[in-house]
Amino acid sequence: MNPADKGEVEDLVRVESVSRRFPLDHSYVSALSRTSLRVAAGEFLAIAGPSGSGKSTLLNLIGCIDKPTEGRILLEGVDTSTLSPSRLTALRRIKIGFVFQTFNLIPVFTAAENVEFPLLVQGVSSSERKARVATALESVGLSARASHRPDLLSGGERQRVAVARAIVHRPALVLADEPTANLDTRNATQLIDLMRDLNRSLGLTFIFSTHDQRLLEHADRIVRLTDGQVVSDTLTNAASSKGDSHGQVLAACV
Amino acid sequence: MGKFLLLAFRNIFRNRRRTLMTLMMVGGGVTGLLLAGGYFAFMTHGLREDTINSGLGHLQIFTADHFNRDEVRVLDTGIANWRDVAATVKSADHVRGVAPRIDFYGMVSNGTKAAGFMGSAVDPDAEKSLGFIAHGLTGREPEGKPAGEVEAMIGAGLAKSMNVKLGDGLTILAMTSDGALNGVDVQIVGIINSGIAELDARTLRITLPAAQRLLQSDRVTNLVVGLDSTANTDAVYDELIPRLKNLPQQMTLKKWIDLATYYKQVSTLFNGIFLFMGIIVFFMVLMSSVNTLLMAMMERTREIGTMLAMGTPRIWVVALFMLEATLLGAMGAVLGVAAGNLFGILLNSSGLHMPPPPGYTVAVPFKVLHVPALMIGSSILVVFSLALASILPAIRASRLQIAEALAHV
Repeated sequence: MNPADKGEVEDLVRVESVSRRFPLDHSYVSALSRTSLRVAAGEFLAIAGPSGSGKSTLLNLIGCIDKPTEGRILLEGVDTSTLSPSRLTALRRIKIGFVFQTFNLIPVFTAAENVEFPLLVQGVSSSERKARVATALESVGLSARASHRPDLLSGGERQRVAVARAIVHRPALVLADEPTANLDTRNATQLIDLMRDLNRSLGLTFIFSTHDQRLLEHADRIVRLTDGQVVSDTLTNAASSKGDSHGQVLAACV
Repeated sequence: MGKFLLLAFRNIFRNRRRTLMTLMMVGGGVTGLLLAGGYFAFMTHGLREDTINSGLGHLQIFTADHFNRDEVRVLDTGIANWRDVAATVKSADHVRGVAPRIDFYGMVSNGTKAAGFMGSAVDPDAEKSLGFIAHGLTGREPEGKPAGEVEAMIGAGLAKSMNVKLGDGLTILAMTSDGALNGVDVQIVGIINSGIAELDARTLRITLPAAQRLLQSDRVTNLVVGLDSTANTDAVYDELIPRLKNLPQQMTLKKWIDLATYYKQVSTLFNGIFLFMGIIVFFMVLMSSVNTLLMAMMERTREIGTMLAMGTPRIWVVALFMLEATLLGAMGAVLGVAAGNLFGILLNSSGLHMPPPPGYTVAVPFKVLHVPALMIGSSILVVFSLALASILPAIRASRLQIAEALAHV
């Protein structure tokens, strides 16, 4: 089945003929060219491709932190190109969680405070923040490291804090840009398992860019980009039988 | 809000060396302002009390015509029933006493040489009761003598010019209220060196009865009112105004500040210098902080991008940077106030003296007053300066393109 044709499932994300060009001197560079993509809720989707293929650009556009030159992107049916900057900010705050290649934790905050930050921005009450941060940190196996600052955590631990931060406000969509690129094999595997478990247990939709084969093996669906265009969009057999080591804990997040 | 404040506070210490430099600059500015302002306050406060206690008093009463008087026949516009006026004034609250005065002019001669003088006649007992002190006096102040002898105190410059010393005699000449020239022999009992050379070259003081005999009048030029505290000047002024309206002669009441021309000039000069220093400190903190805060903003570009990506309102980013700068300013101000007071205590106990100011012949002790209003004002100045300096970096941070900020290396 072509994933784009699954009409019976409501689209969480719809990318319609999107192009993104960046000015360069008196010319421009085309990062994406008339790219279309539909992502249903609950998918675990990988965007693969070589460096410069437009993976990060596509994620930025879906994450509403960049605007397409042409085309439009719909998130839960809402055309994001029509939204004002403040409504886009609110949309990101509520609907989207981000995981970055370089973790991007706030260095002066502890792990718990970093996870708490999205809730703080949303105006969640102190008691609820505390409970949800504890649950989120437990879900990524870092309860014991809650009071540690990022510089005292390993790379794997930092990225798990980043994942906890991305899911703590229960977003509809988690975007991860090369999440395993800075991790060794053991930590990368743990992170992949974690993200997969979160996807299954909470029904969280994950879209991640990667060229890490270990991560691609776990994806339900792989969209391959080359020179800013989708060259293949395939379902895999990975969706069925992975372990559910965090399942019980994660249930508390819902 | 608590976490936001915590974030701002911790961010201040991310680059400790830079923060230390900023704190030293801000604290140094506040310290400098406190020391300079404290010294100016010491000078003006000392000058104020000196001015009042050396004979100006807190209030002075004149006839309404006094300021239009004939410079030669000075007592034509004097207070006739001055004892009644003094009694009226003395009954008011906070009034310690009333001293009658005659200001007059004339010539003084030693037989071979003559010079002009500015004379004042006082009631020695009333002056003493008000604590009016003649600074730099050698000998003693003139006292009333029953046998008609007249004692005088003259300025050091006049004594030098007349070539006289304590115990020597002089003749003074002045115009009576009838326009006739009258003279009296005086004995020098005191020579005063006030520190103001021009004043010391003209000053002469005799007792009130002696001056009234010389000028052939029972009147006085003015009444000097001494209060229990300078702070009560306005209140007593307001109380006396209606009382003086019921008198046969129309009176004018003047506050000390209206008569202290020199004090006002010095105070205005110090205020001007202090304002100039404040402006320098303000811009020094402002210009150097803009650069420091811009550097901090550049270093945190990716972090700001992350916060914005997570849906942090841009106004929060502005507020965060301004809060950090304000906190930094407040810490610098606290440091500066502490250092300023510490240095002030050290200076006050050091016994340092400043060279005599222009027109003075005595050195001035270098002391600083600890003025709470200065501490608050200087602190507000630097905090405001830093908050202002943070606006540009804060706005630049809030306007970062998120995707570009996240890709920032």
